[in-house]
Amino acid sequence: MPKCQYVDPGKAFEAGYIHFEDIPVCQYNKTLAEEKKIYTKDDFLRIYRDMAIIREFETMLNEVKVKSNYNGVEYNNPGPAHLSIGQEASAVGEAYCLDINDFSFGSHRSHGEILAKGLSSIYKLTDEEVYDIMKEFLGGSVLAVVEKQMKSENIKDLAINFLLYGALAEIFARKTGFNRGLGGSMHAFFIPFGLMPNNAIVGASAPIALGAALYKRSNHKPGIVISNCGDGATGRGPVLEALNFASMDQITKLWGMEGKFEDGGMPILFNVFNNHYGMGGQTRGETMGYDMVARLGAGFNPQQMHAERVNGYDPLAVIDAVTRKKALLLEGKGPALLDVVTYRVSGHSPSDSSTYRTAEEIEAWKNADPIVAFRKKLVKGKIATEEEFAVMHEQITARMTEIMKLAINDEISPRMDLNKEPDAIASIMFSNQQVKSMDPSREAEMLCPKEECPRVKEIKGKVRTATDASGKPVSKMKMYNVTDGLFEPIIDKFYEDPTLIAYGEDNRDWGGAFGVYKKMTEAVPYHRFFNSPISESAIVGSAVGYAMCGGRAIVELMYADFIGCAGDEIFNQMAKWQAMSAGILKMPIVLRVSVGSKYGAQHSQDWTALCAHIPGLKVVFPSTPTDAKGLMTSALEGTDPVVFFESQRVYGFGEQFRKDGVPEGHFEIPFGEPDVKREGKDVTILTIGAVLYRAMDAAKELEEKYGISAEVIDSRSVVPFNYEKVIESVKKTGKILIVGDACERNSVMRDMASNITEMCFDYLDGPAVVVGSRNWITPAFELEKSFFPQPSWIIDALHEKIMPIPGYVPTTNFTDIEKVDRAKKGL
Amino acid sequence: MATVVIMPRQGQSVESCIITAFNKKVGDTVEKGEVLFSYETDKSSFDEPAPEAGKILAIFREEGDDVPCLENVLVIGQEGEDISAFKPAADAAAPAAEAPAAPAAAPAAAPAPAAEAPAAAAAPAPATTEGVGSISPRARLLAEKTHADLLKAVPTGPNGRIIERDVQKLLDQGFTVSPAARDGYTAATEGTGMNGKVVLGDLNAPAAAPVAAAAAPEAAYEDVKIPNIRKIIAKQMCASLTTMAQLTLNTSFDASKIIALRGSLKAGAEKMGLANITYNDMILFAVSRVLGNYKVLNAHYLNDDTMRYFKTVNLGVAVDTERGLMVPTVFGADKMSLNELAKSAKSVIGDAQSGKINPDLLKGATFTVSNLGAMGIESFTPIINPPQTAILGVGGITKRIKEVGGADVTYSAMSLSLTIDHRAIDGADGARFLKELGFALENFDLLLTK
Repeated sequence: MPKCQYVDPGKAFEAGYIHFEDIPVCQYNKTLAEEKKIYTKDDFLRIYRDMAIIREFETMLNEVKVKSNYNGVEYNNPGPAHLSIGQEASAVGEAYCLDINDFSFGSHRSHGEILAKGLSSIYKLTDEEVYDIMKEFLGGSVLAVVEKQMKSENIKDLAINFLLYGALAEIFARKTGFNRGLGGSMHAFFIPFGLMPNNAIVGASAPIALGAALYKRSNHKPGIVISNCGDGATGRGPVLEALNFASMDQITKLWGMEGKFEDGGMPILFNVFNNHYGMGGQTRGETMGYDMVARLGAGFNPQQMHAERVNGYDPLAVIDAVTRKKALLLEGKGPALLDVVTYRVSGHSPSDSSTYRTAEEIEAWKNADPIVAFRKKLVKGKIATEEEFAVMHEQITARMTEIMKLAINDEISPRMDLNKEPDAIASIMFSNQQVKSMDPSREAEMLCPKEECPRVKEIKGKVRTATDASGKPVSKMKMYNVTDGLFEPIIDKFYEDPTLIAYGEDNRDWGGAFGVYKKMTEAVPYHRFFNSPISESAIVGSAVGYAMCGGRAIVELMYADFIGCAGDEIFNQMAKWQAMSAGILKMPIVLRVSVGSKYGAQHSQDWTALCAHIPGLKVVFPSTPTDAKGLMTSALEGTDPVVFFESQRVYGFGEQFRKDGVPEGHFEIPFGEPDVKREGKDVTILTIGAVLYRAMDAAKELEEKYGISAEVIDSRSVVPFNYEKVIESVKKTGKILIVGDACERNSVMRDMASNITEMCFDYLDGPAVVVGSRNWITPAFELEKSFFPQPSWIIDALHEKIMPIPGYVPTTNFTDIEKVDRAKKGL
Repeated sequence: MATVVIMPRQGQSVESCIITAFNKKVGDTVEKGEVLFSYETDKSSFDEPAPEAGKILAIFREEGDDVPCLENVLVIGQEGEDISAFKPAADAAAPAAEAPAAPAAAPAAAPAPAAEAPAAAAAPAPATTEGVGSISPRARLLAEKTHADLLKAVPTGPNGRIIERDVQKLLDQGFTVSPAARDGYTAATEGTGMNGKVVLGDLNAPAAAPVAAAAAPEAAYEDVKIPNIRKIIAKQMCASLTTMAQLTLNTSFDASKIIALRGSLKAGAEKMGLANITYNDMILFAVSRVLGNYKVLNAHYLNDDTMRYFKTVNLGVAVDTERGLMVPTVFGADKMSLNELAKSAKSVIGDAQSGKINPDLLKGATFTVSNLGAMGIESFTPIINPPQTAILGVGGITKRIKEVGGADVTYSAMSLSLTIDHRAIDGADGARFLKELGFALENFDLLLTK
């Protein structure tokens, strides 16, 4: 909702019609004679060879799966094998047009795409370039195997062996695979060839690919992005979100510097390998209603995404289409959509008995085999003879057999040894780097010098403590608060790191729903800071793709409750790619989520436990302006994905704990370090999030009324978390309450209580007691005091579970009987 | 529905009681109110009446068992009722099931508990907590470090859990147990070591060699098991004498004034609504007033580092009972009028004699008075009740002669014997106290008007 665009009621109600252009359906009809003008014999043969290599590679996998034997070599592969036999022409046709600046993302069925793009890249790179890539990759360890163990005719031949071996070793979970065997069949990739991660979650690559396009667009990088998926994936929300996000008006109308919208639309081609089935569901005629995938384009922008349906069984038809789309994208006319009609002769997986289709249908498609058809065409056109092809096939089979033997040799291709190297995976879960700028070679594009940024100027005049020298509260307008603490490191990073972008719903003119980005519009250009559509999957997924390409992103989901809308993107994508890539990828993403109150059941939840449960995410939850600033600074310096929890209860709070107020300038608080907010000796209260202030109230009451001195420790971080300070405190007090606003069951509090009990058992004078919210829905604001932990609950729990306080009368029930009863009822 | 009879808790501090005798056996029919069994704490004994009529369906304990309070002892009900739910969870002390079989195998010589002993000894867990209810790890750790006597702990945590502050309180009160004694220590024992520390010698001698009864001529003597309370007294007395430097000072005073007062009270007490005030009450009263000037006598010698001086006077009154010597306490005696003091003393003495005394009233004294005057004793050396620092013995009235205006005059004298712990108090201090006490008693009318 930029103010520069007027929403005119007159125009809104204007009568008229929406016009559609015709969407081409399999319009390619060039003759071989015409094509000979474009392709040399080598080109034709190379297209054929690449298809044949893919076919042989997958045939081998299928034989291993079905017979545990390929060409006389025995092997058992327990891992997945989602084959694409029949789809080779589509993959090779697409890859033919791409170079290493063009990034392609795929699905769980992407062996063909990997090999096709790999082979195409090897052809296009010079010998030196390709050798350097192989030598540098994972310290040359993959190259060493093929160099030592195989005879190669030349560098390109060596590179083909390298590609096939690296991919196969990865599929067989070998340490010499492209990702040390940690990615596997469904996630194999090789970034130096522009082969970006493939994804085992159907459709998950679409928003990630969108993020790569966003990276190219916002950082003015060359090349295009291909988002491959199957027709089944077009039923997934994230795919549709990505189509819409990529088509946003603002990209061509508002992005750019000082009104120059020079870069055009999103350089992304959504390429659907339309093999007619989503696993067993027939898309056309059963599970979808669009008739043809290409029709979708008409729904997303007036250009209809330049959608087109193409014969994916003819490599030349595919090359023709992709060449035209790539040209459009490079002209700034993206995004584009291709519906590449193909067929998967192989089952969804080797366990597929094809109950959903007839033998007749499969036979008909086998008869139309794109490889056989292309060979016949070339023989008929006198481009090559059957004998030439026979020799080629012989060579391919021999090469494949040799590579398979290498990849299953436990000496040459060992698996990761987690007994010898128990930390091999642990060490790559996080990259733990400190990187000031993801691209120090460039200046950050900003609209004004930092000193002139209105918000920076405003903060300069603010009092950085909650009370003034005389102890009087500082007025809200003049007080530096939590939003300022978040803003300062973000604006600093915008000036420091040219790749930093920030987006989410209502981020720009609104300033973020809670004012963190207030008055930032004047300083940060549109293409680095914008409103996204209400598309949580696309917001987080695109951030993942953006980071994979080398950028840094800070994205916002407004309410923590919306985490569910981006579940896959947070839990499977953002969290896992660093380790799944064997540490090759970095994931510098800060995902801001805000815990609400007052807004009921779907706008008030602390979901730290959901995020903390997933390995690979860092999770923090500051509650003071100083902690907000220090942790945001650290989050933005790091290279790991951070879910940054904030609380709407405290955005307006000033600094109450640090006497000198919120530090000026660059200020980092390392992740994982809890902070003693109040010293005490009788009982420890460990808090998570904004409940800190209620714990302080409880501590005050304990001191004043009952002479009990409570130590209050603010966890600040959830993952990582250093227990040392807490253990030290518990050794002193012998008693601990863990308090937070999350529903008590399976919460981070429970996890901490369990760990503390294990580590401090002999020092505990009672159980580690959790005081969380009830296992209910969050009721209306007026009823919240019966739901969220109150100061009195903390004292009640101490009294009832740890140390009865003489004369104290509890108001809530923390007894075991009550607990058993609630658990029985699932409450 | 069968009714379970539990071991009652006699007072806040009582953890367990020893069953001294069962009056009924399994299968007996009982009437409501009939005595089921007798039991004792370390300081007093009680009878447990049947809560209702019925048949004894099961007895889970044996005579001599130390039963934790509130645990099931027996079940009364109707024939055939299911009693499985009442069986005590810990089978360490569940002889009931095996009882019928055992006697045949073990006639007289070997004491039954011997069979259990090796098992208990083999257990590596610190024996400190055996017989102790639930306890927090932190409290256990503190107790282990400081040798606090957990069996004397008063749990204040949730569900009767002993928590850190309870152990701290034990330490403040000086209740500790030596590491050597700890291993065999299963029932709260009055300590005789320094500051009441339970030491090895305090433990019941482990199954003393069985007496060779056959060798002795029949009926020449009778061997009787020493009751628990007697054992306690024995230990306490020995400990008192072996750990302190006791010194007794003797004096007497002219009792004419108190004899006169006693005379007038006999005549008018009832009319005035006063208690039957005895000589002993008057002595208690005088002691409670004079003691305020001698704080070292109203004190506990806690250990070689610490003396505890009390701000109030809690008078222990030695009482002769059927079960033996008992010393109930009159708390806050210095705040009472003579009449109030007499009433309180009467009440606790009566309870002690009838065996119904609340065990909490059997401790906490800051100074003790023992009066044997009524039995014609002229003078004696009382033994201090540790950790108190002194005890006053009161003898009977005798005629003595004193010189008044050159003539010998007879008067009624009463003797006072003060035993002091010379570690805490010097002889001269004790003498000064006795002198002032004698003066107060000789001028009792003045003391009353004070």
